[in-house]
Amino acid sequence: MRFGVGLFSLQCTAMQPRHWTGAYRDMRELASLMEELGYDELWLSEHHFFYDGYCPALLPAAASVLSVTDRLRVGTGMLLLPMYDPARLAAVATDLAERSGGRLDLGVGMGYRDVEFDGHGVSRKQRLPRMISGLEVLEQAEAAGGPPIWMGAQLVDPVKRAGRRGHPILFSAALPFERCRTLTQVWEEGWAESRRSLAEKPALGALRNIWLTEDRKEREAARDWVRASYVQYAGLGWTLPAVGDHQQQDYAEETDKAIADTVETTITGSADECIRQLQQFDEIGIKHIAFRLILDGEPRRALESQLRRLSDLVLPRLRDKVPA
Amino acid sequence: MARLAEAHGLFGVMTGAGDPRTAITAAVYASTATDFTRVIVRVLLGQEQPVTIAEELAVLDNVNNGRTVILADTGESAQRYMASGAHGVVYRNVTSPSLVDCVRKVARGESPRWKVPAGLPANVTAPKAIAVTPKPAQLEIPFWLTGGAAGEVAKPSHLAVLARDAKAASVERSVQPAIAAITGTLEEDRETVIAWAAAGATHLLLELPEGAQHEAALAMISRYLAPEVAMPNFPRVMSTSKVPLAWPGDGRG
Repeated sequence: MRFGVGLFSLQCTAMQPRHWTGAYRDMRELASLMEELGYDELWLSEHHFFYDGYCPALLPAAASVLSVTDRLRVGTGMLLLPMYDPARLAAVATDLAERSGGRLDLGVGMGYRDVEFDGHGVSRKQRLPRMISGLEVLEQAEAAGGPPIWMGAQLVDPVKRAGRRGHPILFSAALPFERCRTLTQVWEEGWAESRRSLAEKPALGALRNIWLTEDRKEREAARDWVRASYVQYAGLGWTLPAVGDHQQQDYAEETDKAIADTVETTITGSADECIRQLQQFDEIGIKHIAFRLILDGEPRRALESQLRRLSDLVLPRLRDKVPA
Repeated sequence: MARLAEAHGLFGVMTGAGDPRTAITAAVYASTATDFTRVIVRVLLGQEQPVTIAEELAVLDNVNNGRTVILADTGESAQRYMASGAHGVVYRNVTSPSLVDCVRKVARGESPRWKVPAGLPANVTAPKAIAVTPKPAQLEIPFWLTGGAAGEVAKPSHLAVLARDAKAASVERSVQPAIAAITGTLEEDRETVIAWAAAGATHLLLELPEGAQHEAALAMISRYLAPEVAMPNFPRVMSTSKVPLAWPGDGRG
C-alpha cells in the first residue's frame, strides 16, 4: 500500500483563523516533514469563491510543494475540470509533471456548486459534456507523457465510466467502507468492459478519516475536528447521494445527521485496530490510502504528532504488502 | 534562476512571455527564493479566462508571501487587443469584469464581486453574486502593463507601463518599471543602466544576452551594474577592487 495525507485546501476558516500565507507556508513545511517520515503522496483540494479562501488554483499550489520536495507525489483531489480550458490545463499540468520528475497526479472531478460554474462562465448543464471532452484532451496529454489522471466520483455511472476509461478513483473519506466496496465492484465492472490489459490496471485510492490513539480525550478531540471539518461541507452545499442500499448524506439539509454519520467513518484506536481496518481496503483493491488529517480546529503540533505516530506504527506494517 | 537572483540581491525575476505555464514557473520561483525577490508574472490579456487568471494570481501572492508583480501584456497589436473582447467586454457570456478590471481588483485586495447569471430555479438559496478568494497577501499587487495597447489601457487607470524606450519613462510616476537588453560588455551595459536611471526608471529588468551563463551574468549585474545606479556618482573603486578572500573551501573567490 501507499500512504498520503490530505486534503490540503489552504483555508482560513471562521473556527481556525490565520493568514493564507501561513497556510501555504505550513503546507510546504508539512510536505517536507511527510517526505522525511516516508509518506508517498500529498493531496490538494479545490473550491472557488468560498469565504475562507479555499484554494481555487491547485497547480500553482502543487508547484510550490513539488519545488521543495524530491520524492513526494502531489495529487489534485480534485481539480474541477469542467471549469477549465482543457488545452491550457493539459499544457500547464504536463509542464509541471515534467519539471517535477513525474510526481504530479492530476485528479479531476465534475464539481457541484452552481456558483462555481457561473463564476467561470460555464453552464452547470454542460458539466458532463465538458467533463468528457476535457478528459479526452487530458488523456491525449497523459499518453504523450503528461500526468496520470485520477478521478473523483461517488455515484455508479461516473465510477463505472472511470473504470471503462482506465482511470483510478480516489474515494471520498465520507464514504463508509461498505460503500467503497460497492463502488469498487462498479469500477471493476467498468474496467472489465474496457478490455484493457491487466498490466495497465491502476490501483484505486481512498481518503480516510483516521486518528491513531488509545487516549479517550485525544480521540474525542480528533473526532470533533473531523466533525468541524465536515461543517464546511454544509456551507459548500455538498450532498452524497444514495447508491443502492447506501443512504443519502445531505450536508446542507440534514446537517447534523450527515456529519454524525461521517464522523462514524473515522478509524480510531490502537495501531493494531487502525491496521486491521486499513487492511480491509487493501483486500478490496484500494492500495492508496490518503489519511484525511487536515482538520478544522486541529493544532499543528497535534497533526505533526499524528503524522509521526502513523509513520512509526502503521506505515511499516502495511507498506508494499501488496505492490501498489 | 530566482534563487540565483536572490543570492545576488536583485529585486525580481520575470516569468515567460505570457505563456499559460507562467503561474507554475512563478510558483516554483516563489518557493525557491523565499526572502525578498519579486516574481514578475507576465499575463497575456485576452487569451485566458480572467477569473482563472485572477485566482491563480491571488494564490500565487500567498504562496510567495506577497512578492508578486503582475505584468499584463496586451500583445503586440493594439488593434487586435482592443477587438479581442478582453477590454471591458464580457467573457463567455459571464457578467464578469474584463480581465484588466478583474485582475486589478484582485490585485488591490478588492474582491471583484459580480453578479452571476445563475439560472438556478431549484436553488433559491444560492448566492447571486460571487467574489474571488483568497485575497492577495499584499495590500495591493503592483500591476504593470506592456504590449501594443498598454498606453491606451493605462491612460484612464494611471497604471505603470513597462518602458522599452528611455523617452517613454516618466519621472512623475512613483514606480517606473522598464526593460532593456544588456550585451555582457561592461562599459556598454554601464551606459545602458545609467541612461535608464537618468530617464527615471525605478525598476529595470535586464534581458540577458543569448546564451549567457546565468551565474556570471547575474554576478556582473549585482557587482557592477546595480551599484552603478544605486547612488549618484558611484565610486567605482567599490566594485572594481579585489574581491575579499573566501573562507577556505567554500568555493567563492
